[in-house]
Amino acid sequence: MSLLAMKRTTRRSKEDKVFDLINIFLVAIMVILVVYPLYFIVIASISNPNMIYEGKVWFLPKEITFEGYQRIFNDSKIWLGYKNSIIYTFVGTIVNVSFTLMAAYALSRRDLYGRNLIMFLFLFTMFFSGGLIPTYLVVKDLGLLNTMWALILPKAVAVWNVIVARTYFQTSIPNELLEAAKMDGCSDAKFFWKIVVPLSKPIVAVMVLFYAVGHWNSYFDALIYLNNEDLYPLQLILRNILIQNEASTQMISDLDSLAAKQRVSELIKYGVIIVASIPLLILYPFVQKYFVKGVMIGGIKG
Amino acid sequence: MERNKKKKTSAILAIGLSTALALTGCSSNDTSSKVNEEAAKFNETGLPIVEKEVTLNFVSPKAALAPDYSEMVIFDRLQEATNVKIKWNNIPADGYQEKKNLLLASGDLPDAFYASGFTDKDLMQHGQNGTIIPLEDLIDKYAPNLKKLFEERPELKQMVTAPDGHIYSLPRAEEMDLVGMPNIMYINQTWLDKLGLEMPTTLEEYHDVLKAFKEKDPNGNGKQDEIGLTFWFNGWCGNEGDLIGLFGLPDSPFEADHRVVRDGKVIYAATQPEYKEAIAYYHNWVKEGLIDPEVVTQDTAQLFAKGKTEDPSLGSFIWWENTEVVGPDRVKDYAVLPPLKGKDGEIRVGRSNHSEYGRDAFVITSANSNPEITMRWVDELYEPKMSAQINWGPIGEIYEEDENGMLVNKELPEGVAMGEFRQKVAPGGPFVVLKEHFDSVVDMEPRAKERLEILEEYYRPHMVEENYPQIFFSNEELEKINTIEPEIKEFVKQKEAQWLIEGGIEEEWDDYVAQLEDMGLNELMEIYQTGLDRFNEEL
Repeated sequence: MSLLAMKRTTRRSKEDKVFDLINIFLVAIMVILVVYPLYFIVIASISNPNMIYEGKVWFLPKEITFEGYQRIFNDSKIWLGYKNSIIYTFVGTIVNVSFTLMAAYALSRRDLYGRNLIMFLFLFTMFFSGGLIPTYLVVKDLGLLNTMWALILPKAVAVWNVIVARTYFQTSIPNELLEAAKMDGCSDAKFFWKIVVPLSKPIVAVMVLFYAVGHWNSYFDALIYLNNEDLYPLQLILRNILIQNEASTQMISDLDSLAAKQRVSELIKYGVIIVASIPLLILYPFVQKYFVKGVMIGGIKG
Repeated sequence: MERNKKKKTSAILAIGLSTALALTGCSSNDTSSKVNEEAAKFNETGLPIVEKEVTLNFVSPKAALAPDYSEMVIFDRLQEATNVKIKWNNIPADGYQEKKNLLLASGDLPDAFYASGFTDKDLMQHGQNGTIIPLEDLIDKYAPNLKKLFEERPELKQMVTAPDGHIYSLPRAEEMDLVGMPNIMYINQTWLDKLGLEMPTTLEEYHDVLKAFKEKDPNGNGKQDEIGLTFWFNGWCGNEGDLIGLFGLPDSPFEADHRVVRDGKVIYAATQPEYKEAIAYYHNWVKEGLIDPEVVTQDTAQLFAKGKTEDPSLGSFIWWENTEVVGPDRVKDYAVLPPLKGKDGEIRVGRSNHSEYGRDAFVITSANSNPEITMRWVDELYEPKMSAQINWGPIGEIYEEDENGMLVNKELPEGVAMGEFRQKVAPGGPFVVLKEHFDSVVDMEPRAKERLEILEEYYRPHMVEENYPQIFFSNEELEKINTIEPEIKEFVKQKEAQWLIEGGIEEEWDDYVAQLEDMGLNELMEIYQTGLDRFNEEL
């Protein structure tokens, strides 16, 4: 007898049923609240923009047109941005995760000399940052302006993630393991790569997701540090498409380009949102199972 | 014990090493151009400006479609003529303000900011702390073109002169006389004919026409989907200012500005009885369904969509041009609605506070070791024929010269939109095109001509004389304005929208006026009045 059949035969009181109904009802409302905006973007991306403004698009797409997508796929800028974003995310995440894990592991070891001082220095930066201008000056003087490293190196390590990872190492890698490994003549570095990292898949997955999402969605650093449009990440290009500059009196003699620009941007707005979210939507299910577990383990016993 | 010591030394060593590394990071390159004046052989007049090539570093915003300015034909020609090479740092326009502020804050200065985008506050602050240099002496010595313009238009000079008497920046001007009246009313002529109605001349007649549009199904689709009137609430054009004007005081509601000038006095229109009466009246139109109920929330894209619905649905709209709203196919259905007679039988048309002058076209920084050369270079741009090319595009791309040396528009290649093409060939920035240049130097764009004709025919004869000019305020005044004004604007905008759609202006009026006074409206208007008095004295 399967579990499901068992379930059906257990007597359920009336209260239980009412309770279930209310629950289902509430959860359904929440699901709609979350899913509908996403659904709307999907149907809006293939509808005629004028129909959207008339408020006629709410359940089914109207006057279906794929012109928006055609334009997106023909637009070299968007693809260039896509490529850049993928590179920044990939390289950036590798840098982030390796540095974070190494720092976190070292700090999780009780025999690290000056551990508390280093931890304090790390923590200090969480509460007091240099601010935009000093940071900019540092980046500029290191000669990183207008290179991809400006988006990767200044944000190479997030202290919060170091703490989460450190806590994870402290709680889930028993000291005896290290002693046993040392016995067999294993060095610290080897122990870290061969034993600790393989045992820490959940936390690695979490770090990858945190950092990758961060890189994928960030645009402000690119706005500040990059002048060359060929280096722009996708988010910055999107921002330029979606945030229409207010028409100014200077545009008064520039009429047809304004009208044309508006129509095009209306047309591709929604499609672009979809195109931009797809990579993360694909990535998410793969790491989601670690995600919940990892954060819990990392955060709970701190 | 011994081991601990070792550890300590190694830790100290490590820390010491890393600091040393950090300190020996690459030193910054000095961005200002160092040129030996002797070698460059600077000519005070005539061309070339220097005998041997000199390079200057400029920062400038650029439009999305524009190429890097080093690739622009117009600058190549300038370089040939002057022997001055410009090294451009082009910053895409949408991130320009942030980056400009960063450059200024970090002291990472170019020789000059071209099309600088400096706000009045920037000019005052950086002018007084020496980041950008005063230019009046340089203009006097090295800028004959600009001086001539200042003689022809004293107000241009006044406009760039800061309250402390210095000139920190150079002007930009395009005197087409188009921006004073951006609220042209259009009405659906086809529907008027279909319903056998006359072109309305008074508010009552207009009301009856809109009512007929609303109720008699002029587009013949059997649905009541017609919109009587729509406009851009608080917009820079197509706003409600002249509708309110029918009650005696044309308003300037762009971004809840509401400053109008009568006989040299600044009046805050949104606390005047005429305004109250007007809003109460138009609320009734909203109730009757004559005014688009979405009018206070729509953005321009939504407004344009209403003009292009499958069955025509716009009876009447306000905009500064008609094709943009209704599209090229329907343009012929709409006619200009001549200004209506107001309540007292007078026709009154407002004048917007938009200005055709700008004062942020060019600034020279303290890092510049060749200010004379820079001034002579930029003065080249103020030669009328050059100005036209900087603004609209160069000879050979946009213009050709006719036998009198006038610049006339070339035929554009098929399928090229003027506006987009201009972005690719015309950098904009420091230029001055005066009204008289349109007959002698450059031909006006056909579209601009069309609009001028409409304005001349219908609006110009009835326009009020005064508006609030672009005044250069002092630091203290700006400080106060920036503290008081944003809150007031937000509040008034919200109230106007609420009263227009939901009504209630009569009941709430006194509280509203009292609250504005609490917010510091009187103080704000005093500052504006002081500024205006100063401005008029100097003229």
